[in-house]
Amino acid sequence: MLIYILRRLLQLVPILFGVLVLTFILFNVAGGSPAALMLGKNVSARQLEEFDEQRGFNKPLFFGWWTSTRAYETRRDTPFPLAWRTVEGARLEDDRVRIEQAAEVPMAFAPRAGLVLRWSLRYRTEGRYRLAWTDAAGPHQHDLPPALDEGLFSVTIRSGGEGQEGRLRFEPLSDHEPPLEILRLTLERRMTSPWDSQFVHFLGRLFRLDFGESMATGQPVLQMMREGIGPSLLLMVPIFFGELLLAVTLALFCAWFRNRWPDRLIVVASVLLMSVNYLVWIVMGQYWLAFRWNWFPVWGFESWRYLLLPWLIGLFSGLGGSVRFYRTVMLDEMYRDYVRTAFAKGLPLHAVLFRHVLRNAMIPIITQSVMALPFLYTGSLLLESFFGIPGLGYLSVNALNSLDVDVVRAVVVIGTVLYVLANLVSDLCYALVDPRVRLK
Amino acid sequence: MNDRVTAETLIRSRSLWGDALRRMWRRPDQRICLLVILLFTVAALWGEFVFWRYRLRDETPPYNRVDMTRAYHPPSPWARPFDRAAEALGPEAGRWAIVRKGLSNLLEHPLGTDNLGRDVAQRLVQGARIAFQVGIITSLIAIPIGVILGLIAGYFGGRVDDVIVWIYSTVASMPGLLFILAIAMVAGKGLKGVYLGIGLMTWTGLCRLIRAEVIKHRERPYVMAARTLGAGPFRIMFRHILPNVFHLVIISFSLRFPSAIGTEVFMSFLGIGVQGEPSWGIMISNARLRLWHGMWWEMTAVTAAVFLVVLAFNLAGDGLRDALDPRLRTGESP
Repeated sequence: MLIYILRRLLQLVPILFGVLVLTFILFNVAGGSPAALMLGKNVSARQLEEFDEQRGFNKPLFFGWWTSTRAYETRRDTPFPLAWRTVEGARLEDDRVRIEQAAEVPMAFAPRAGLVLRWSLRYRTEGRYRLAWTDAAGPHQHDLPPALDEGLFSVTIRSGGEGQEGRLRFEPLSDHEPPLEILRLTLERRMTSPWDSQFVHFLGRLFRLDFGESMATGQPVLQMMREGIGPSLLLMVPIFFGELLLAVTLALFCAWFRNRWPDRLIVVASVLLMSVNYLVWIVMGQYWLAFRWNWFPVWGFESWRYLLLPWLIGLFSGLGGSVRFYRTVMLDEMYRDYVRTAFAKGLPLHAVLFRHVLRNAMIPIITQSVMALPFLYTGSLLLESFFGIPGLGYLSVNALNSLDVDVVRAVVVIGTVLYVLANLVSDLCYALVDPRVRLK
Repeated sequence: MNDRVTAETLIRSRSLWGDALRRMWRRPDQRICLLVILLFTVAALWGEFVFWRYRLRDETPPYNRVDMTRAYHPPSPWARPFDRAAEALGPEAGRWAIVRKGLSNLLEHPLGTDNLGRDVAQRLVQGARIAFQVGIITSLIAIPIGVILGLIAGYFGGRVDDVIVWIYSTVASMPGLLFILAIAMVAGKGLKGVYLGIGLMTWTGLCRLIRAEVIKHRERPYVMAARTLGAGPFRIMFRHILPNVFHLVIISFSLRFPSAIGTEVFMSFLGIGVQGEPSWGIMISNARLRLWHGMWWEMTAVTAAVFLVVLAFNLAGDGLRDALDPRLRTGESP
C-alpha cells in the first residue's frame, strides 16, 4: 500500500507542474500585462513599471538574460509614448518618431545604479546623425551610419544611477541633414541570473503561500481565503453528503424496481431535473419559497436558517445527474454473473443489493463523489453570491467582476491543487475498496 | 432472386447516420426532441438573419429598441386582446373588424415586453442565436483539439502518447468552471472569452474516448491492410480510423451542446458574456430583478426556452447514443 501511495504521488508531480505552468501562462502570458489589466489604460509608464517591479512582472517569463522595460512606452498598444510630443526637435507620427534637430529622448523612469541596460534602435535616415550618451564610465558617442532601408543599432551600458545617465541624445552632424526616423526604440535590462524569471518568482511565492494583496480591499489574499473557507464548507458539505446519500438511495431503489414504473418515473424525473438551469433553481427558489411564501430568509448569513434554502437548492439542482449516473452504474452491475449466482443461491433481493451490488458499485461512486470535492472549496459561485454567503465563491465572483487578478489567481491555483489532490484521494480509495488496483 | 436483390440494395442504401436518424425518428419521444431542436435551429437562423439585416443597415434592431410607452406589456393572451380591440374600435364596429384587430393585438407581443418596452419574443430568438453560436463555436474549438490529439496519441503510442496524456490529464485536473471564468476574464468581456474558455477546457473527455478507441482499432485487420498497402500514418488515422470512431464525435457534440448553453447562460448572467445583445443569461438577470415587480413573463419564457432546448438535447443525445453505440454508458458526459 505504501509503495502504491508513493507511486501515485510521483505520478502527481508532472500533473501538478503542468497545472502550474498553465495557470502561469493564463495569468502572466495570455492576458498581456497584468499591470495594464489592473491599473487601467490611463496610467503612466512609471506607475506600470513600479507595479511590475513590486510583483515581479518585470522579469523574463521563463528563462533569459534580458528583459524588456517600459522606458519608452506608456501602454502596450502604442509604440511611442505621448511624452515624445513635448520633445523639441522630434515629431510624433503614427508609428514612428521623426527627428529633425538635436533631441534628447525622454525616459519613463531613471534607471537605478549598477543596472546593465541595452538599447536597441531601429531607424531610417538619409542623413548623418550622432548618438550621444553617458554611463558610469563617462560620456560616449557614436555616429549612426545612414540607412535607407532600415538600420539597427544597439548599445549596452552600465547605469551610474544619477538620473541623467543613460539618456540618449540624437544630434545631426550638420544643420541641414534629412530627418531621422525612429521606427522602434527599446530598452532592455540584464538580469543578474537567467533563472530569475517570472515563473520561478511565481513558484517561489506559491511555496511561501504568498498570494499577494487584493486590489479591491487591500487585504492579503490568503487571509480573505481563510475567512471564506468556513462559510463555503458550511454550505457545501451538507449538500455534498445529502446529495450522495439521496442519489445512491434512489439509484438502489431504481435497481430494485428496474424497468418497472417507479424506476421509469425516477428516470424521467431526473432527466427533467437535469434540464432545469441552475440559475432558474436559485431565482425561483428565492422568489417563491423565500419571498412569496416566506418559508426561509431571503438573503444573508446570520444563523443556520439562512443556509436552509441554499442547501435545498444545491441538493436538488445536482440530484438529476447523479441519480441517472448511479442508476446506470447499479444496473451495469445487476446483470453480472455474481449477481445471478447470488440470486441462484436464494439470497433475497435486499441482501443482493446491499451486500453485493452496492459494494461492487463503489468505485464509480467514489470517483464521482471525490471529483465533486473541490467544488466544496469553491463553494457554489452562484449560491453564495445570490444568498450573500461570504464564502470563497462569493469572493471569486466579486473578484471576477472587479478584475482582481490576484484573488482570482489564488482561487484558481488552490482549487486546482485541491483538485489534483482529490484525484489522489480517489485513487487511494480505489485501492482501499478494491485490492486488485494495488497490484496493477 | 429478385426479392433478394431489392433487399440487398435496401440494406446497402442505409448509411450509418441515416439508420441512426431513422431509429430515433421511430420513437415518438425522440421525434419530439428532434422537432424541438429543429424549431430552435430555425429560430437561431432567423435570429442571425434579423441581426445581420439591422447590422448591415446600421439601425437599432427592434429587440434593442427602448420604448417606455410599451413597457411591462404582459403576453398578449393575458392582455385581453379582443376586449381591447372592441374598446378601441367602439361599439359600432363590425364583428370581423374586432376579430381582425384582436388577432393583430394577439400577434403584437405574444410573450409581452420587458421593463424597457422591448419585445420578449424577439429577444428570446436572439438568445437562441447566441446559445447556438456558443454551442457550435465552442465545439469547433474543442472537437478538433480532442479528435486530433486523441488520434495521434492512440495511433503513435509511446512518447507521443505520454505527452498527450500528460496534457489532457493536466487540463482535466483543473476545476472547469473556475478556469473558464478566469480565461474569460483574461480574454476580456464578450463572446470571445466565452468561446475560448469553454472551448479550451472541455476537449479532454472526447480526447480520452478517441484515444482509447483508436488503441483498439490500431491492430484491427483493416488498419493492417491499409498499412500493408503503403498508406502513411496520417492517411490511416484520418481516412481509415476516424470514420470508424466518428460516432463518438457526434455523441460528444450532442452532449456538450446543452452544457455549453448552460455555461453561457451562467457567464452572461455574471456579466462576462455577450455585451449589448440579448442573451438568455442577460434576460434572466434582467427578469430576476423585475420578478419582484410582478413581471413574471420574461422569466417564464426564458426558463421554458432553456429548459426545452436542454431537455431536447439531453434526450436526443441519449437516443443518438443508443442508436450509434449502445455500449457507451448513460451519464458519462464529456
